[in-house]
Amino acid sequence: MQSIVHVLLAGLSSGMFIWLVASGLTLIFGVLGILNFAHGSFYMLGAYVCYTVVKVFAPHFYLGVLLGPLAVAAIGLVVERRFLRGVYHLALPYQLLLTFAFVLIFDNLVKIVWGAGSLTPPVPEALRGSVSIVGRKFPVYSLFIIAIGPLVALGLWALLERTWLGRTVRAAASDREMAAALGAPVPALYTGVFAFGAWLAALGGALAVPYVGLLAPGMGESIVIDAFIVAVIGGLGSLKGAFVGALVIGVISAFGTRFFPTFDMALTFLLMAAVLLVRPRGLFGAAA
Amino acid sequence: MAKKRLGRRGFLKVTGSASVLAAAAAAFPRGVFGATPKIKGPIKYGYQAVASGTLAGYGEFHKMGLLMAVEEVNAKGGIAGVKVETEFRDSTLKPDDAIKNCRYFVDSWGADFLGGIDSSGQVLAVAPLMPQLDKVLMVTHAATEKLNEEQVFKNGVKQIFRICSPTYQDGNAAAFIAKDLPAMKWATVSPKYEYGFTCWKMFQDTLKKMKPGVSFVAESFAPFGTTDFRSHINTIMDAQPDGLYSTEWAGELISFVKQAKEAGLFEKVKHVMFPVGAAMDVLEGTGSDMPDNIWISGRYYFQYPNSKMNNEFVAKFHKKWNHYPAYVSETAYSSVYALKAAVEKAGSKDTKAVIQALEGMEIDTPGGHRVFRKEDHQAMYEVPWGKTRSDPKYPFKTMGEQRVISARDFFNRPPFDGDRSMPPFQQG
Repeated sequence: MQSIVHVLLAGLSSGMFIWLVASGLTLIFGVLGILNFAHGSFYMLGAYVCYTVVKVFAPHFYLGVLLGPLAVAAIGLVVERRFLRGVYHLALPYQLLLTFAFVLIFDNLVKIVWGAGSLTPPVPEALRGSVSIVGRKFPVYSLFIIAIGPLVALGLWALLERTWLGRTVRAAASDREMAAALGAPVPALYTGVFAFGAWLAALGGALAVPYVGLLAPGMGESIVIDAFIVAVIGGLGSLKGAFVGALVIGVISAFGTRFFPTFDMALTFLLMAAVLLVRPRGLFGAAA
Repeated sequence: MAKKRLGRRGFLKVTGSASVLAAAAAAFPRGVFGATPKIKGPIKYGYQAVASGTLAGYGEFHKMGLLMAVEEVNAKGGIAGVKVETEFRDSTLKPDDAIKNCRYFVDSWGADFLGGIDSSGQVLAVAPLMPQLDKVLMVTHAATEKLNEEQVFKNGVKQIFRICSPTYQDGNAAAFIAKDLPAMKWATVSPKYEYGFTCWKMFQDTLKKMKPGVSFVAESFAPFGTTDFRSHINTIMDAQPDGLYSTEWAGELISFVKQAKEAGLFEKVKHVMFPVGAAMDVLEGTGSDMPDNIWISGRYYFQYPNSKMNNEFVAKFHKKWNHYPAYVSETAYSSVYALKAAVEKAGSKDTKAVIQALEGMEIDTPGGHRVFRKEDHQAMYEVPWGKTRSDPKYPFKTMGEQRVISARDFFNRPPFDGDRSMPPFQQG
């Protein structure tokens, strides 16, 4: 019982953690139709900028969480305006190549600015330590992540479904030409959505800093694969799908590691394959 | 690329030098020509280590040791009066990149010697290629015992030498420590690849022999790149062992230690061993989060041995790079001096002569007295195991109580058991 509860909690926290990264990835794909490899780099940059802000203005962790993602959103803005805009009309491989180039550039940038070695991040005082749950310690910070995930989901839902801006974005996502003809500022919306997606990735990065326990160049490369799997299972472009997908993957892989350790690496991929066989567009993907 | 292509330039070089040699041999009387063994310089040392991704810090530490040694050697007249040149390449941890780097170094750059390489998978991939490239490769980090036991000893790949300690340090020496601990039930969280499997197996086999009744109650292997160890930690806590053995390393060990601490693992499991916990990046990265009284070791530890040579090395290294030397810094540094000693002993940089010189060679290095075992080309030396403690002089945990297991004990393993594991050691 104790074990089941703790494996479940571990699964929930890692699922919510992946969700923070997957949300921006799937949002950008849903609206812009771009599969952004550099999403993991935004995650990494968010973590590093947060680290530096917290170092400079110690001990204000929340300032880092505020400023890190904002700085990365600004970088995202430049990337979209200056580079991505030039490849929207080209075939998918060109877009992939461009975003992959940014992965290499940002990885090396981080190495130049922050050094090649790993850095040890500070943990906010209030979120340090553990609480006892059914007789075993569970970190407060993981509980915090479990709470943050649904909050971000709720915020996104409200933004997209309940505001005029959200409606315009959805209109631009479903029919770009029609939305433009009706007067929606589509290019500006694209820029905004891309920067917002980068902001989400960086928020994940900033919050991940104490969760993972260290920063290293290239840290975004493995998380972006998890985020991608989650987005595909949920249906690329669907936020609801990414949320559910993240929960499912997080919990299943936690149980897999605990109870079927031989297969745990294959488990997530098997699940993805199974979902794609039954529902080629993912759990909540739009029908063709 | 299955076949080795001989490029136009390489072809010209081969035929050109052959004809010059033939002409020279014809022009000079044989005795005079052979009597002055002047080595044609420079001596080129192609070095590769991981310099990208999450483990990029290792490459930096390799490079610091390598560059410092090359600078020192050149400042004192080079190797046998010939200047040393080095080039550093990113090995990326991928086997095919390690192979590509070796080919580049030998075929295009003109390397006389190869060095470095971090992962076991990489050295095992490179090994079959070495007879073809026919240059001495000095391995400074990858630890699998399959390299010296199978590739060098069994398959006869004589070009490979290893200056860092192999998994014997992680598996065997650990078992010698564990047998004296009051722990009968052991568990592991270790890497889900060659290195993690082979160390855990060696630890179990050796410990079982020395301590009947010991049991192994749980194992949880984490794939490369794991950042979240919480499920693995649950596995261990459910099994309620009294000893934990983990060959997690680098950033993954840092994450593991922090997450295990949050979960209260170190309060439940009293005897914990990290064979590569004494790595500088781990000590610096865990800082005060590393609990006290954890048994740690490495392939070199900057406070051992307490010799003039080591103390000067550490002081100079710290002054130059503002870091204490990591174990890969010491092995990279010492690899240059080992090659220097071998070339000067052989009076030649030819592969065959250098191999002969290295076999059985003894050398004093910052990490201690090393002997290259003739049969498997493995450097035998000792690195202590010790218990972590706080030391106000350092911003990280250091080894307090230390125990040194004699190399002749933990290197004692088939096919080198009994007398065969005993080259002439200086100290008893």
